[in-house]
Amino acid sequence: MKTIVITGATSGIGLETARLLACRGFSVIATGRDAGRCKAARDSILASAPDAEVRFYPADLMRRKDALDLSARIREDLDRTSAGCLHALINNAGCAKSWYATTEDGLEQQFALNYLAGFLLTYGLSPALSRAGGRVIMTASQSHKGARVRWDDLMLTRRYNPLTAYKQSKLCDVLFARALNDRYAALGIRAYAVDPGLVCTEIGNKAGGVVGLVWSLRKRHGIPPSVSAEAFARLCIPVQHPAGLYHDRHGEKAFSRQVTAENAARLFSVSERLCGISYQEET
Amino acid sequence: MNVMITGAAGGLGRAMAVECARRGYALFLTNIDAPALAAIQKGLSRRFCVKIYAEPCDLTDSAGVDALMAEIDRLGLRFDMLLNIAGIDYEGGFLRREREKIVRIVALNDEGTLRVTHAVLQRRNPDARFCIVVVSSLAALFPMPLKAAYAASKRFLMDFGMALRQELTGQDANVLTLCPGGLSTNDEVCAAILAQGVAGSLTTNAMERVVRKTLDLAWKGRARYIPGAFNRLLFLLGKAVPASWTAALIFRRWTQTQKKWLYPTQIP
Repeated sequence: MKTIVITGATSGIGLETARLLACRGFSVIATGRDAGRCKAARDSILASAPDAEVRFYPADLMRRKDALDLSARIREDLDRTSAGCLHALINNAGCAKSWYATTEDGLEQQFALNYLAGFLLTYGLSPALSRAGGRVIMTASQSHKGARVRWDDLMLTRRYNPLTAYKQSKLCDVLFARALNDRYAALGIRAYAVDPGLVCTEIGNKAGGVVGLVWSLRKRHGIPPSVSAEAFARLCIPVQHPAGLYHDRHGEKAFSRQVTAENAARLFSVSERLCGISYQEET
Repeated sequence: MNVMITGAAGGLGRAMAVECARRGYALFLTNIDAPALAAIQKGLSRRFCVKIYAEPCDLTDSAGVDALMAEIDRLGLRFDMLLNIAGIDYEGGFLRREREKIVRIVALNDEGTLRVTHAVLQRRNPDARFCIVVVSSLAALFPMPLKAAYAASKRFLMDFGMALRQELTGQDANVLTLCPGGLSTNDEVCAAILAQGVAGSLTTNAMERVVRKTLDLAWKGRARYIPGAFNRLLFLLGKAVPASWTAALIFRRWTQTQKKWLYPTQIP
């Protein structure tokens, strides 16, 4: 049984993707911030697929320590259950904020969760991924197309606009997928970014302010999360790595012109510095 | 340039620390929460090439502050700026809160600030201008039922800041009193802002901008900074309207807010 890891799986796209992949016979390791919500999500998945293998590990991925601890716990789990092999890592956890706020180590929260948490977790799980020729899938967004990386102020402390910060974090997701392919294709790791489409989820509910208001109106036109989960399943199920970098549920699609090898490499090295890690040592 | 920041691992303190590090100031950070303090120290060290010291301390404990100062003396540090950010509030009406928690509001917000300010003023860099920032609040401008101890503790800081500034005239030092409305410092505060509805949004300011402007105005010698035109209007209104009226109005508004926010399941 192939194992996948998915973050942010207590609601929305993450929960439905975990459910779909569990139903399709994958062993699912999932994460969420709140232990109670993790249990509820597990029960909900087991109600749809009583024989499914689903394990939840609660962790607050906005915290660097939690992300590193989580990857250690997942590595132990994989060693026990699947000979240390990981078929796919879906970095899906994300948030939308209305105001500038920082994480414990002083990083802007949307950048930290939507992008950097995935960077850290991939780092922690890269040995297991390379052992299985695994895939890394980032939940990106079509909104990444309107963004540029503000290299001189990555945390956007000057003229902070929450939507710009969200778009930049999603562009970073696509750039990270590109960088992984550029650097680690030889190890058999293949990375993708997924456009889930406009999905009716709870992401903006707690944002408040303008973001909360706009999201409450926009999400009415969104597709159900169970539909967008198909985009992730399309990338996990085939035995061979699907081609391309940026996908939606219909297939490969065009991504921003900002996604260049140069930008990807630059973001990768900045992220290593921000996280205080070095990928080379591990992989 | 050496800057000391108290409450540096909390929302506003952290944002201040980031901005100071970005400006290239050397930092001495303190907070009661040692792991969180270590996290911000390491996070900033990874991003910025500045010297960052960090030492956990409970500012309500006089002996703890003495030990903190001993560490500063051991390091031979002298300061150019002190940002008194450490402060707390516990939400809920006076009798709904534990007695010692209410006392702790004054112990940290007021006594803690006095201890640190007194000690750090004696450790200022003698050859340069010195700046102190005291974080009061928009709540200091009115008597605030349901936040009575907090608002009063912030009123203390506002008057203290203004008076100390006068005492330090002629000593090349300034004290700026910051009186912010809502700031998105942590999830709990964001929930409170949301529960206030439109009023919450109107009184809330962009934290990153408030941080930058606070530092700029402190160095320019300003005495008080109330961020946001709406908040400044409230300040003026608060002066014009009798205190008993404002108290009654605020009591009505906060009763509604806290019902929605703190006790959502309770039958009114």
